[in-house]
Amino acid sequence: MKFAVTIGDSTEMIEVSGAGGRFRVTIGEQVWDVDARLTPQGISSLLIDGSSYVADVKDEDGFFRVDVQGESYDIRVEEETRHIIRTRGRAAGGHGSQIVKAPMPGKVSHVSVRAGDTVNAGDPLLVIEAMKMENEFKARAAGTITQVRVAAGQTVNPGDVLLIIE
Amino acid sequence: MLREHRINKLLIANRGEIAVRVIRTCRELGLATVAVYSEADREALHVLMADEAYPIGPPEPAASYLAIDRIVQVAKATGADAIHPGYGFLAENPVFAEACLAAGLTFVGPPPAAMRAMSDKTAARRMATEMKVPVVPGTSSPVSDDAEAARAARDLGYPVMIKAVMGGGGKGMRLVSREADLPAALRMARAEAGAAFADGSIYIERYVAEPRHIEIQVLADAHGNVVHLGERECSIQRRHQKLIEESPSPFVDDAMRARMGKAACEVAAAAGYVNAGTVEFLVDRDRNFYFLEMNTRLQVEHPVTEMVTGLDLVREQLRIAAGERLGYRQDEVRLRGAAIECRINAEDPFAGFMPSPGTITGLRAAEGPWVRNDSGAYEGYTVPRFYDTLVAKLIVWGADRDAAIRRMARALGEYRIVGVHTTIPVLQRVLAHADFRAARLSTALLERMLPMFRPAEGRYRPVAMIAAALTAYERLGRTPAIPPSPSPGPWRLGARRGWGPRRP
Repeated sequence: MKFAVTIGDSTEMIEVSGAGGRFRVTIGEQVWDVDARLTPQGISSLLIDGSSYVADVKDEDGFFRVDVQGESYDIRVEEETRHIIRTRGRAAGGHGSQIVKAPMPGKVSHVSVRAGDTVNAGDPLLVIEAMKMENEFKARAAGTITQVRVAAGQTVNPGDVLLIIE
Repeated sequence: MLREHRINKLLIANRGEIAVRVIRTCRELGLATVAVYSEADREALHVLMADEAYPIGPPEPAASYLAIDRIVQVAKATGADAIHPGYGFLAENPVFAEACLAAGLTFVGPPPAAMRAMSDKTAARRMATEMKVPVVPGTSSPVSDDAEAARAARDLGYPVMIKAVMGGGGKGMRLVSREADLPAALRMARAEAGAAFADGSIYIERYVAEPRHIEIQVLADAHGNVVHLGERECSIQRRHQKLIEESPSPFVDDAMRARMGKAACEVAAAAGYVNAGTVEFLVDRDRNFYFLEMNTRLQVEHPVTEMVTGLDLVREQLRIAAGERLGYRQDEVRLRGAAIECRINAEDPFAGFMPSPGTITGLRAAEGPWVRNDSGAYEGYTVPRFYDTLVAKLIVWGADRDAAIRRMARALGEYRIVGVHTTIPVLQRVLAHADFRAARLSTALLERMLPMFRPAEGRYRPVAMIAAALTAYERLGRTPAIPPSPSPGPWRLGARRGWGPRRP
């Protein structure tokens, strides 16, 4: 089975075969025999041509975060055909909007902007109080606030859209 | 032991790793332990480890771990004779200490009067000045309104530091470099201070550039004996939250240690201090030290002092609270080797250290020679979102600083926590950094290093890609389930949920 594996802007095709914990993995011209003990959300052991690695694979929003030897990679894995369909359609897709989502559960303690405001990169947007800390959110890029979906005092959960900047 | 005030049963008015740490010493001393817990902490490790455990209210600290009446009531009902407050929560609250004493309970900490003298940081600064101990220039009393704050900041000259009058643990502290940022900084500092200490008052100090943060541990008994246990170097901080601490400080020689130790003991004695306390100093490039504040509690980073002195500070606290004498003089306190502590917090260091509460699905702590793990976590434990992010403290000892650094790097490499983000990757990068290794330390060092740290350096890119691709491949469920390993393996791999094909 072929996968498109994307880290940052670069995508590589990886072919995987095998079963029962023993796999053959091909990336380009390189072929590895891998003995893997995987867990859905936990510590995985990989013996890659005999070299021992422990990797932690965690589901994030649509990708995997893989931690290995103190390095952390955000990796998107798609079946090859799905990847081709998605990237073909991309040219039509809009861009430039920033959707600010709550990364953790907490309480909105202050909102600094209103719909219609223009902001510059680094401008404060709002503050969420979580785990005894006041966490300030700043604009990543300049733009206009089109929607503010939360108010001070409101409790938010991870993934909740806080505001949108165009 | 512990006979004068007869401590037989101790209630720990705290949670997390510090509650676990106190329970451990109690068990070694043969004392019975009582845990208290909020509704969010029924499955917390301190509840599992204590002899008895009682609920004290909803998750919000104000309704549980800060509920003085409720905690005292539990102590009385269970027949505890003493209360250990840990750090944070009620640890530096004189009202709590008084409530304990009024209820006939021994408070394992300083007398309320000494606590009160030090808890108002502006009053503590005045006291230090009287003792001829230098302080950083700043307002001599709390500032009430924004206009007054702006005036004071202008007089001192930017940048200035806003601090909570009742402060501690970096809460309510904000560095302000220009007047335009002052209102927002004041608002956040007051909110944070109000939430943490139930008192939002703040004061303003001149900012000392690139200082080191070095603190002296003191022990004072009720018979007038005061000793110091050397220093802790706590310069590796982010937003005034310490991340790595060590003892001794590579910057402090014997003569400087003696001078700082003497100043710390004098401040403690002047305040009528009894029990374990910490006197914090800022140290500039020319080895001038300035009194910052006295923390009237056991510090988070106390284990590094334990490792180099061989003293169990919780045991010393309990002995002192029971009325025993220290039993040793200053010249009998010896520092041996070097110790380092790393704070493993549930935060994502590559996303602005955003808190990362959640369930720990995989855990393997570091072990091996001269490695100590003070933790409140276990596999399957859910880090609640209501409290601070500290999950574990990893402490190592080495014959010298270099050996301790190598040991810590080794131990961090072994430590694995899955399910929540942690500070481990950034701790590893600091430990490997040339400035840290060469002890070119300042409180600004970490902030300067952070932009240079990348989550991935590319060395293990193929391994990560293979791990991700195999996970996706398995998840598609086109292969039969991996048979369970013949042995349980070195850690409980997939103990909670086996790997198998997805249901159709």
